[in-house]
Amino acid sequence: MSTASSPNPKSRITISKRMLLSLALGGLFIGLFVGWLTIQAFSNRFGSPEFHGRVMQSLQPISDFTLTAHNGDPVQLQDFRDKIVLLYFGYTYCPDVCPATMAELSKAFDLLDPEEREQVQMLMVTVDPRRDTAEILGQYLGHFDPSFLGLTGSNEEIAAATMPFGIFYQKQEGTIESGYLVDHTASVSVLDKQGYLRLNYPFNTPGADIAADLSRLLEE
Amino acid sequence: MTRRILPFLLPLVFILVACNPVKPDVITAKEAWGRSSPASAQNAAFYFTLENAMGNDDQLVGAEVTICDRVELHETTIDGQGVMSMQHIKQIDVANGATVRFEPGGLHLMCLGLKEELKIGDQILIGLSFANSDDIQVEAEILEP
Repeated sequence: MSTASSPNPKSRITISKRMLLSLALGGLFIGLFVGWLTIQAFSNRFGSPEFHGRVMQSLQPISDFTLTAHNGDPVQLQDFRDKIVLLYFGYTYCPDVCPATMAELSKAFDLLDPEEREQVQMLMVTVDPRRDTAEILGQYLGHFDPSFLGLTGSNEEIAAATMPFGIFYQKQEGTIESGYLVDHTASVSVLDKQGYLRLNYPFNTPGADIAADLSRLLEE
Repeated sequence: MTRRILPFLLPLVFILVACNPVKPDVITAKEAWGRSSPASAQNAAFYFTLENAMGNDDQLVGAEVTICDRVELHETTIDGQGVMSMQHIKQIDVANGATVRFEPGGLHLMCLGLKEELKIGDQILIGLSFANSDDIQVEAEILEP
C-alpha cells in the first residue's frame, strides 16, 4: 500500500513546485512591465528630452567680442542678436574632429527650412590665427555651407572671445613632422536670439539632433 | 608515353595550382573613405577598418598615399572636459582576430601636405605597411563633406 501511494505525493510536490516557479516568473514579468511603464511615465513627465544638446544657462547675455570675419568685416556678437548663433572654436589645419563637426552642422542646416535657416548663424572662431588667414577660413567654411562665417583676430581678441564659453586651446608643438596641432575644446555652443547661452553639443552630436533643437528654439 | 603520364600529370598540375602559395591577404582593409576637401586644405584624414585573420598579432607601422607629402598614424582623444587632442603614434596593434576601426574622433591616417583637392567620388589608393606581414592596398572613396 505505502509503496503504491508513494509516487502520488511526490508528483503533487513537483506540480506545486512548477506552479510556484511559473507564478514567480509571471510575477517577475508583470513587475518588470509595471516598472518599465512607471519609468516611461516619469521620464515623459520630468526628464523629457526636450533638447538633444546639454542645456546651459547664462544669467546675462554672453559678453560681446570683436573679431574680423573672413570677408573682412568687423563682427560683434551682438550683430546677430536677432538670430540663433552656433559657435565653434577650431582651426582649418585640423583634419579629423573639425571637418566632422562642420559636416554635422552643415547637415543640420540642410534639414532646416529656408525660413528657419535665415534665423540661424553659424560662426567658427579660429584658435590658430597664425595659419588661418581670412582667405583660408572663407574657403574652408564655404566648403561646408556658404552661410558659415569664419572669424579671426589677434591672439588677445580670440582669447577674450573664448572666455565666456569655457573654451580651452593650446598649441601642441613637435607632434607632427611639419607644423603643429592645436588641442581645443571640441564642442559647439548655441546662443538664443537674446544672446543667452542655451545649449552645448559635445563632439559627434548628429546634425539631425542639432536641427531638431534649433527648430525648437526658433518656436520660442 | 606522354599519354600514359598525362592522366597522372594533369591532376598533379591542378593540385599544384590549387596549392599555389599566393598568400591570401591575411590582414584586410575595407570601407575606406575620406571627406572631400576645401581647395585650401593642406591636409586630410582617411578612415577604414582593418581585420586580422592571419593567426598572429600584427602592427600597422606606416601608410602611404601618393597625393600626400607624408602620412602619419594619428589618434584623436577627447578628454572628460571635451578637449580634443591629436597624437602621432608609431604603430597600431592589430591583434589576431581583431577588427580595428579608424573613424572620426579616433584613429585616422593624417595626410600632410595634400597635393590635390579631394573631390566627391575620387578613389584614393592607400598603401598600408605592417610589422609582420606584407603591405596591402585599399581604395578610399571620397565622400561629401
